[in-house]
Order: sequence, then C-alpha cells, then structure tokens
Amino acid sequence: MTLLMIHRLPLFALLMGLSTTAISAAEPGGAKVVDFNREVQPILAEHCYACHGPDEKSRKADLRLDTKDGLATVVTAGKPPESELIERVAGHDPDTVMPPKKFNKPLKPEQVAKLTQWVEQGAKWNEHWAFVAPKKTAVPTVQGATGAIDRFLLARLEREGLKANPEAPKATWLRRVTFDLTGLPPTPAEIDAYLKDTGVNAAEKVVDRLLASPRYGEHMARYWLDNARYGDTHGLHLDNFREMWTYREWIIGSFNRNQPFNRFLVEQVAGDLLPNPTVEQLVATGFLRCGITTSEGGSIEEECYVRNVVDIVDTFGSVMLGLTAGCARCHDHKYDPISQKDYYSLFAYFNSIEGSALDGNAARHAPIVSVPTAGQSQKLKELQAKFAGLNKRIAEAVAKASYTEDASAAEAVNPKLREVVWIDDALPPKSQFAAEGGTNVAWEFVEKSVREPASGTKSVKLTATGLRQVVVSEVSPGLRVGEGDKLFASVWIDPKNPPKEIMLQWHTTGWLHRAFWGENRIDWGMDRTTERRQQGQLPEGGKWVRLEVPAARVGIKPGTVITGLAFTQFDGTAFWDKAGLLTSTPQGDRHFDSLNEWAAVSVADTAVPKAIRDLLKFDAAKRTAAQSKELRDYFIEYGYTKTRETLDPLHKERAELTVQLTKAQGEIPVSYVFKERPTPRPAFLLKRGEYDQRGDQVGRATPKALPAVPKGTLVNRLGLANWLVDAKHPLTARVAVNRFWQQLFGTGLVKTADDFGTQGELPSHPELLDWLAVDFVESGWDVKKFMKSLVLSAAYRQSAKVTADKLAKDPQNRLLARGPRYRLDAEMIRDQALFVSGLLVEKVGGPSVKPPQPAGLWEAVGYTGSNTARFTPDKDAEKTHRRSLYTFWKRTAPPPQMTALDAPSREACTVRRERTNTPLQALLLMNETQFVEAARGAARRALQDGGDDPAGYLFKLIVCRPATDAERTLLKSAFEGFRADFTKDPSAAKKLAAEGKGDPVTLAAWTMVANTILNLDEVLTK
Amino acid sequence: MHPIPDFLAGQTRRAFLGKSALGLGTAALSTLLPARAAGAIPGLPHFAPKAKRAIFLHMNGGPSQIDLFDYKPKLEDLFDKDLPESVRNGQRLTTMTSGQKRFPLAPSKFKFERRGKSGMWMSELLPWTAKMADELTVVRTVNSEAINHDPAVTYLCTGNQIPGKPSLGSWLSYGLGTMNKNLPDFVVMTPSWSSKTDAQAIYNRLWSSGFLPGKHQGVALRSQGDPVLFLSNPDGVEPATRRKMLDSLGKLNQQHFDEIADLETQTRITQYEMAFRMQTSVPELMDLSKEDKRTLAMYGPEATKPGTFAASCLLARRLIERDVRFVQLFHRGWDQHGNIAVDLPAQCRDVDQAGYALVTDLKQRGLLKDTLVVWTGEFGRTVYCQGGLTKANYGRDHHPRCWTMWMAGAGLKPGFVYGETDDFSYNITRDPVHLHELNATVLHSLGIDNNRFTATAQGLDQRLTGVEEHHPVKALFA
Repeated sequence: MTLLMIHRLPLFALLMGLSTTAISAAEPGGAKVVDFNREVQPILAEHCYACHGPDEKSRKADLRLDTKDGLATVVTAGKPPESELIERVAGHDPDTVMPPKKFNKPLKPEQVAKLTQWVEQGAKWNEHWAFVAPKKTAVPTVQGATGAIDRFLLARLEREGLKANPEAPKATWLRRVTFDLTGLPPTPAEIDAYLKDTGVNAAEKVVDRLLASPRYGEHMARYWLDNARYGDTHGLHLDNFREMWTYREWIIGSFNRNQPFNRFLVEQVAGDLLPNPTVEQLVATGFLRCGITTSEGGSIEEECYVRNVVDIVDTFGSVMLGLTAGCARCHDHKYDPISQKDYYSLFAYFNSIEGSALDGNAARHAPIVSVPTAGQSQKLKELQAKFAGLNKRIAEAVAKASYTEDASAAEAVNPKLREVVWIDDALPPKSQFAAEGGTNVAWEFVEKSVREPASGTKSVKLTATGLRQVVVSEVSPGLRVGEGDKLFASVWIDPKNPPKEIMLQWHTTGWLHRAFWGENRIDWGMDRTTERRQQGQLPEGGKWVRLEVPAARVGIKPGTVITGLAFTQFDGTAFWDKAGLLTSTPQGDRHFDSLNEWAAVSVADTAVPKAIRDLLKFDAAKRTAAQSKELRDYFIEYGYTKTRETLDPLHKERAELTVQLTKAQGEIPVSYVFKERPTPRPAFLLKRGEYDQRGDQVGRATPKALPAVPKGTLVNRLGLANWLVDAKHPLTARVAVNRFWQQLFGTGLVKTADDFGTQGELPSHPELLDWLAVDFVESGWDVKKFMKSLVLSAAYRQSAKVTADKLAKDPQNRLLARGPRYRLDAEMIRDQALFVSGLLVEKVGGPSVKPPQPAGLWEAVGYTGSNTARFTPDKDAEKTHRRSLYTFWKRTAPPPQMTALDAPSREACTVRRERTNTPLQALLLMNETQFVEAARGAARRALQDGGDDPAGYLFKLIVCRPATDAERTLLKSAFEGFRADFTKDPSAAKKLAAEGKGDPVTLAAWTMVANTILNLDEVLTK
Repeated sequence: MHPIPDFLAGQTRRAFLGKSALGLGTAALSTLLPARAAGAIPGLPHFAPKAKRAIFLHMNGGPSQIDLFDYKPKLEDLFDKDLPESVRNGQRLTTMTSGQKRFPLAPSKFKFERRGKSGMWMSELLPWTAKMADELTVVRTVNSEAINHDPAVTYLCTGNQIPGKPSLGSWLSYGLGTMNKNLPDFVVMTPSWSSKTDAQAIYNRLWSSGFLPGKHQGVALRSQGDPVLFLSNPDGVEPATRRKMLDSLGKLNQQHFDEIADLETQTRITQYEMAFRMQTSVPELMDLSKEDKRTLAMYGPEATKPGTFAASCLLARRLIERDVRFVQLFHRGWDQHGNIAVDLPAQCRDVDQAGYALVTDLKQRGLLKDTLVVWTGEFGRTVYCQGGLTKANYGRDHHPRCWTMWMAGAGLKPGFVYGETDDFSYNITRDPVHLHELNATVLHSLGIDNNRFTATAQGLDQRLTGVEEHHPVKALFA
C-alpha cells in the first residue's frame, strides 16, 4: 500500500500543476469540475471500451465501463484510492496495469490524473451527450456581442483569455461570403457596389442576393454529392456509365427553393413511400441508390445484394445520424452502444429493394423512373397521339376489308421439303461479310480450274494457319428453321494439307451453334453442348463430302431465324461449297389469299405474336366468335394479299413513328429510385457480416440507444424517416447544423462530422451546437436562414489574421478568435479560374460533361470492354467550361483536376474532405490546360478593360480587392521580366498566346502575370 | 515582431538552405539527410527495418500457380477425370463455373523442372525467373476469401474488399514519411500487357489514400504525355520564365504571409518549390540515356520501349535508387479463363526477363539487401478446367484458396519455398499464409508491427490488416 502511494504521488502532483489554459486548445472545456462526457468518457472509450464496452463478445472480466452500473463496480465516489479503476490504471505493476501493455494504448499521466480527479469529485455519470436531445441553454451575455452565435463564442474566448479579431476589410468578407454561398468569387462591379454601400443593411443585402442566386443551390449541392457518394459510373469492375444526373438536379433545386431540410431528408430516405409521390420525390430516393455496384462475371447475387444494402445503411448512418454504424456489421460496436442486432434491424428497413443487385453493366439499372422535361413530355404526348390516331386508321381499314374463306383452300397445305441455299458461287445478296483481321480472313471463291465445285461454278477456298474462318452475317432474309430441318454444307479436304479440325458455326441471337469434325482444337463455346458439338472424324480427303447437321443438335429450335454462317478451320486447306438449310418451312413471303394457308405457315412463325399462334393451334371449330374475329383481323392486317395496298403504307408509317417514339423515349433522362418489394424481404443477423452466415431473423427497428419509434408509426422507411426528423431526435439536427458550420468555418463544432459517437471528438462549443440545432428545428429547418445567420456573425466577419498568441493557444482555430481561412475546394478553384477569365458557361443542371484531361487516364485502368474505357473530351465550350459539379465522375478514375485537390473518388460517402498542400497541386494549377486557358482569358480581359493599369485590373479581378502599391509594383516588374523573355523568344510567345489577337508578346507576358495571380495563396484560399 | 513569424522566417531560411543543398547531387544529399525520414509518425518504424523500400509487382487477373510454380505431377494421369467431391468439399465457386456440370481436371501442359540449388519447381514458362531461383522466397499457400477480381484486388491492395480504405503504399507513406525531397513517396506504374482476351480492370483506388490525407496517394508515373500529371510547363513557357513566375509568386505570398501569418502560406511556398524541382528530377528519372548497355540488355529489348513491363522495372530500380519508398506495378491480362496455351506464355514473356533483371540489378547495386521485391496476383486459378478441355489447351477459373507468390531481398531466406498444397493445388495442407499475413509480412519487413499500426477513421482504429489480429510470417526471414 505504501509503495502504491509513493507511485501515485507524482501523479497527484502533476494534477495540481496542470493549468487549464495548457489544455484548453486541445481539450475544450477547461472548467475546474471534470465533465464526465467531455473529459472522462473519451478516455474510457478510447482506452477501455474495446474490452470493457458494449461489445459482448470481446468483453473481458465481465466488466463494462460504458454503463453507470458497470462503472459503479470499480469506482467509489470521492475515494480514488479505494477505486479499482484508479488503482489499475495508475498501477505500475506491469501484470495488472490497465490497459494491458500489449493493448498498446497506455494512458498518459494527465489522463490518469483526470480520472482520479473525476472520482474525487464524486464520479458523476451522464449519458453520452449526443444521444440526449439538445436543449437551448441561456445565451451568455457578453459585451459588444448581439447574436447568439457570437455571444456563445465570445463567452468562451473570454474564458480562454483570447480576443476576437477586428472585422476583416469589407472586400475580404465579400469574397469570403460570395464563395461560401455560391462557390464563386464576386465580380469587380459587385465589389465596387458593396464598398460604396454604407447602409446598415449592406451586408444583409449582399447575403440575400447571394441566397437568391441559382449558384447557391449548385454550390450547396456539391457538398451533398460527397455525402451521397454521387458518381456517373457504377464504380466497380467494368465501371460503366450510370444515368442518374437528374438526382443531382433535384438536390440543386431543393436547395434553391429552400426546401425545409427535414423534408429534404425524408424525401431522400422514403420519397417513394409518401402518398402519391411526385416524380421529384421518387428521384430524391436516388440518395439510396448512389452506391457502387458491380456486374462482374462470377459474382454471387446474394453477396452483392448484401453489400449494396450495407452501403446504404452505412451512408444513412454517417450522413443522417453522424454515426459510424459500419463497425457493427461484423460485431457489436466496440465503442458505441450499437449492437450487431441494431445494425441488422436498421438493415431490415433498406433490404426490400426491387430489382437485381447486379447492375448488368447497364446505364439504366432498374428500378428507375423517367424524368422528362416539359418539352419532352409534350413531344412524347404528341407522338403518342399520332400513334393512337394511326392505329385507329389501321383498325378502320381492317374492319372495312371484306374476306371470305375459299372453301377449296380449307385444307392446310404441308409444303414440301426443299433445299434453301445460301452460299453457292457467291454470298447471299443482302449480307455482311466480316472484315479481315484476327481470325477472320477474306472469302475466296475459286473457279472450276482450281477445283471442280460440288455445285454451280465456284467453291470457297480456305487455307488456315492455326484458327481461321470466313464469316457471313446479317443475312436477309434469314433462314427460317422448322421442325426436323437440317443444316448442310459441302466440303473438300485437301489430302496433302488436311485441317486438324473443321467447324460450321451458325448465328441466331449470337454465335452459339457449332458443329465440328476432327480434333477438338478450337476453344470456342462450352464443350459438349450445343455450343460445340462433335460430329465425327475429319471427312475423307480428296472428294466432296456433304455435311449435314440437324438444326436441333446445335440448339436451333423451330421458329428460329438463322442470320449468319461461318466456315472455320484449324490449320490446313479445304474447299467449301453449297451451304444452306433443308427445310419444309416457308421462307419468304408470308402473304396468302387464304386464311387457312396463312394459318398453316404462321402457326410456327415466331414473327407472329404468341397469342395468335396459340389461337392457331386451337381447333378452328372450338374457337369462340371473338377468337375467330381476332384471327381474321390479324390475318387481314398482316397476312392477306389483297389488303397490302391499303395496309402496307400504314404499317410503314407506323414503323417510322415507332422509331421516333423510341427515340423520344430514349432521350428522356431517367433516375435511379428506391422501390419497395410488395412483401418485405426477411433480414437476418449476419455473423461476421458474411452474407452466407445467417443468424437469427431480425425485424425493422431503430438502434436501442436512440429514442424509440413512436407507437403506431409505420414499420417502413417512411416511419424511419419521420423518426429521423422528429424534433426531439438527438442527432439529426445537430449533425446537419454541424456540417453547415464545417462548410463555412472549415471544421465543425464537432470536428468528426461523421462520428458523433463516443469515439468522435466532443463539440468545441456544446451549448452553441445545441442552441443552433434546436433553433434550426424551430425555424422549420430553414437552411437559407441558418446560413444567413452564420455569415452575418461577427465570428465569420472577423479578420483571419494569426498572431503568435492565438496560434499558441488555438492552433486549429477551433475557438474562432480569428476568421476562417483555408484552401478552397477543388471545384471552387477551377470554377474561380473559369469565372474570372470570363470563360465559365453558367447553366443549371443537365447531364454530366467531360472537360479535357490528359490522355490515357481511363485507358490505363479500364476494363477493355467497358464503355468508359476510353475518354473522349467534349469539344464544345458549352460543355467544357461548365461548373465543376457537372464534370463526369468516373469513380475508378476520377477527374485528376479534382482528386489532386482532395476531392473524393465518390466510391463511398464522404462527410469531410481532407485538405492537403502538395507539389502535384502546384503543377496542376500552374500547367493544366484549362488553368492556362483561364490565365490567357484573364490577361485578355485585362488588356481590353484594364486601361492603363492592367496589373491592378487583373489583381482586383482575381484577388477581389484592390492591389497595394507594393503588389502593383511587383506585378509590373514581373510583367517586364516576362515581356523580356518573350521578346527574346517570340515563337514561345506565340505558343502561349495561342490564337489570341493582338501582340503575342504582350498577351503572353500578361498571361504569365495572370498565371502568377491565379496561383497566389490568397487566391487558392478562402 | 512576433515570435511566430520570426520562427517561421527562420524555417523559411532553412528551407532555402535545403534547396541549395539539393544542387550538390544525390550523393551529397544522402549525407545531409537525417537518419529518420521526414514526416514519419512518432514511434515508427517500430523496430529496425529489414527493408527501407519495397517494389510490388502485381500480376492483375490471377496467374495460374499450377502452370507456373505449384507442380502437381499426379495430375498427369487424371486428365479429364472429375475433381473428387471430397476436394472441393462444397466450397463456393464463382457463378462462371458453378453451373458447370462437371469439373474436369486439367494438368498443366507445361514442363516443370527443379531450379537452383534449392531445387524449387518452376515451369518452362519462366526461364529467367528460374535463373534467380536461389534469390527467391516462394510462398505457395497465399490465400484469400474473395472470388472475383474487383473485390480480390481491392482486398490485396487495401486490406478490405470494399472500396474506401488506404492502399499499402499510402500506409507506408503515412507511417514512414519520406526519404526523398524531389519525388513522391509512392509511385505507381501500369505497364502494357500481351494476352489477347479482354483484360481485367484496375482502379485508382488501388493506390488511393482512402481516409488518409491525399498527399499519401500513389502518384502514377505515365508512359504517355507527362510522366507525372501536369509536370510540363505550358507550350511557350521555358524553365527560366517559370522560375521568374515562381519568384514573383513567392514574394507576393511572402507579403501576404507577413500580413496574415497563416502557416499554410509557408507550406504552399515550399510545395511550389518542390514542384519546380520535380520538373527537373522527374525528366532526369525518366532519362535512360545514361544507363549502361549491359544493364539495358539485361532487361531485354523492351527496356527502352516506354510503357512496357521491362521499361517499368528499369524505372522501378531508378526510383528505388532515389529512395522512393514504395513502387507498385500493375501488369494486367492474367485472367486465363480460356486459351492458357497462348495467353499465359505471352504474359510470362512480358514479365519473366524483366523481373529477373530487376532483382539482379538491385543486387548488383547493393540495393537488394534493404529492398523488398514482391511478385503476386490477387488469387490463383482452379485445377479444373473452365470451358473446353484438351491436352493442348484449357482454361481455369478463379481460385482464392491458394496461390503462389515470390519475394526477394530484405533479409528474406533466399532459395526457400514455404507452404504446401494438396495434389490438386486446391487446398492448403501446410503453412497457410492469408493475404492479411502477407501484408503483415511486408509491413514487418519495413519495420512496422501491423497490429500497432493504426489510423483513426470512422470511429475505429483502422489497420491495413483489418480488425482482427494478424501476424507476419517470420519463418520467411533469415
């Protein structure tokens, strides 16, 4: 015991010596009374919960420190020496010290001190702060501050002995707020107007103008796209194009019309379950469908389905609840009280989606919804009306026609067996032959002088080294196969150079029908199936041999049409001749004078609708009057010779109209939506998260640690969504306002914006966060109002100037004793360059666009058969100069202009982007084509509008404030330096000035000045 | 004046001194650099590393271990016989062959021979690799759970089948910092390949930094256009003009810094200077004109053909020589579901001689002792045939239950074979090495305890080797 006391002494000494300011920056709080939530629980969570937390399976010694009762077993309030917790964490006995040495997470002395102090003060226990509904506390009274935001912030600064900065220059705020609300800088005219406006409401007027701009919605949407993991490709394997840009458009619109944020969330989680959902509400559910999907050959549907749903649950958790639910997929959450059962109960809400988990590599992976524009709807309606009108005319013509069955033709005719020859002396007149290349060689018809043919005057010679073939395809009309028909061809094997194998291949819906003779050398199709049938040994050489293959043997069923044929060899030489079909099926004309004759042929004709063929199979005597009329009408419309004159032109017209209709329908964009199955799919707890390791079945339920769903609520996603936006929900509003705060101040009040659980960081200003959350809900979840209150706060308007004192006390600016200053996001930097140079094409919405990027980036990674394996840039400035949120996002190779500046790949949800500072960014911003183009554009503007001070003009245009004299002088001398370089080397000037008018040397030199300004830290930074 | 800007001004002066030191050339530079790399996480490396750098040669698609390394003579008598049910034992297959009516055994058509003093088996497809058998540590029992390419290769490169986690190279850059002031820590190349069938994709995520800061992501060294994206000045801008621009930029930034005093401004100034240095160091790296003829000949005729595997291997050596931490090559086209007779030899020709040359070259330069070279696919291939089976040609489906890889250098046991599989190269009979253990072994070689190497993200201490504990295969080290 004495020994123990000695060991402990230095710890207490340390504790006494700790000043509050020393830890204030790292550990917000700093009050003398230890706060359990802010100071104790994080230590326990980080160092103890892994073995003594919510996860039952990994719990050691049956002790949990995440509950009040559990803690009580090892803590004696007020008496650290009698508390086992303290004894164990402070103990120096390596055998009993906690956490154990091998856990590699030892407590720091100050942490031990903190725990000790907490026990001393009575070991008060609270629920995890974020799981308790926020309440508005009294707003502190602080001299000189009016709004609640500033009063909370300043009260804290006073406690820390810091002072806020004075207000930033007007131009600085204007640039800051314009970027933050629209993603673009202010124009020189806007700067002048604001500098001139001395009214008390000047700033507010600016904010209202910005909030009303459509650019606001584009800018706000851009952040949400990271949350929603939006991309233009599927993201896995082939990574083919995916069409769901209308979802992006919906987000932009939602922010622009200031849709209440709770509705915004509800529609994305359950828009499809709302009563009579609009197309827009369906599109909103795209949020749940933005995840990555695959269709890789060999994939197991169930495995992919589970992955897709897991992705939805994890995204829902991070974005809506600010919880990292994902860990609980495999085991009980080690830190947060989310059990594995909770996880799969949440999973159960999202697992009843209609459609295949595999995307089929299709752009339109169902369930989808059509999202026509007004114009498209109109056009479609017109075409449909025309179509209906035409059908009516056809029906009238059919009704008007008279027909009586000729009794003499009453007996069905059985046509004779005959040869229909495709290839004899020439290829069929309407056909395509495959171009040479790969295994394909040209057709060579040789005369009698080379070889006496089996039929006609010529035969086909084919000499092969390895695998070679001659191919004819798209033959029209095709061969119509009937019951018992046989395929044939003649072959003459060269006895001096016999092939190892010969093969006949036929094409129906694919090249799926093969028969071969000789060795099994050609590795095509599945062996021993209709894809590769062995017909026997290689025929005897030196004579014509007729090869016959029953169509059924190679899987060609009656009613099928053959449209292609190939003679294939492995090595050797052979001659081929007269190939076709031995058939009793009528091949050409399908028009008859008699219904019975027509019926005899049409019963097996797949071109005739199945319903009609079924009627034809039916005994004529047993048909009802309605059935007989249906047959008669069909015959008259399609099969009767005498109505052709009237009906053929109408059919032609209808065919043309059908093409137009299909085209118009194809032009209508679609979006991916969530569609519920009629009966919910059962959900199971999956052991270790493995799709094939099912445990108990689970029902739909929200996590136990969070408020329960009110009784009587629907047990579906709509119920979940309503629960989510309940005014008393502890997380939703906090998570939302924190993310908006992060957007404007760089870091959220909770730094870990995606983790409000016990492992996440505590809020720097808990009362402020709660006040904002409650106020946001009370305002009707009014985002514009919220953003306005933030950008008009003194905290936001102050200067960003750093002092040594502020840097030392608050290196990360969490306390906001200075204004926010950090690098702009990738999109803002590119958009800024296009904007100041006058190149930006502003158009809200529409499909994604492909500005240029260095060649070969997609090719380097893409599956060769993917439809995004080759990048073709758009040419038109209308597309290449759009805002970056419209840039096509291929997820396995995202645009380098974006990723170099920390944009995520969008393969998974991102709530908070990293901000790095790298040489690769410098290279991009100095050299990339569009950034250079922008410099040139800005230079041109300066020459045109800059009068006698192009340097000052350029500076103000790009930096959004007047240049100082020193800056102007520096730029002028830089210009002289560049001009000297280009005067020496006019060809270089011409290259840089490109197509620009006027003196290339001057333009090139100003382009370099603009390039310099566009790379200024001040320009890349908010 | 404030103490902080004072301190920073001092920093800047040192940064400029550092810059001039670079002019002295790499030899002088190496003596000036501190022993510990810049930017390493405190406490790393955990112990004395065996390797300072690593090269990872990834054969994308899954090379057939049965036709290259894992010799199974008993199969010869079992041609076209069915795989015994007891071997497969109901284990899952991809849906490409799970519908097959039978699983006919396909013995390798290629001749095997014992190689090197150790007498390890290798097939005739790897004559050059055979020459360095005594340098290699071969593991025949690497295994994984992923049965399809995308998840399998994502698993191998990031430790997780689901996208979003940092790649091995990013972890190394994050943990060990940089040894190099002029080049990135983690360089990736995607050389051309020769098999004819559609090649499986790779993905930027395989070298992405996941939740780690973006500066740790792999930098692709390209064979077309700029070797590093946006490296070249725009047409008409000469280096001297760029230098002038950077001088003006630096002055303006410094003026702004004097006003606002944000440290990021200083960082930006240094990053622009590094970008400028890269405009010299990267072309110098790519310039093979000073390579001697014997070296070039060793890599074979394709060594000077940009974008080939041979050229990439030569560049890998040049990168390693310049103390780049991690170089990764992704060679595609190893997915032989059919036509092994033609495509597998073509793939082997791409990599065989160049792989040999790389290891030999490193050895000759004294770099192999502290460089780890790894050669592997994301899984192996099945003993049973997919599609048509003849003695002359056949195809094989994916097989994650065992595959063969080799490593060389960095204190490994040379000429050593580890692990055994059954007579069908289907199941492991001794010394399995799970993919996580492979990654743990790579980390171990670089002085890192994988279980202690974490970064916090999404509420969890994340590791390259996943949530569970895994251990390096220490038996592989001498």
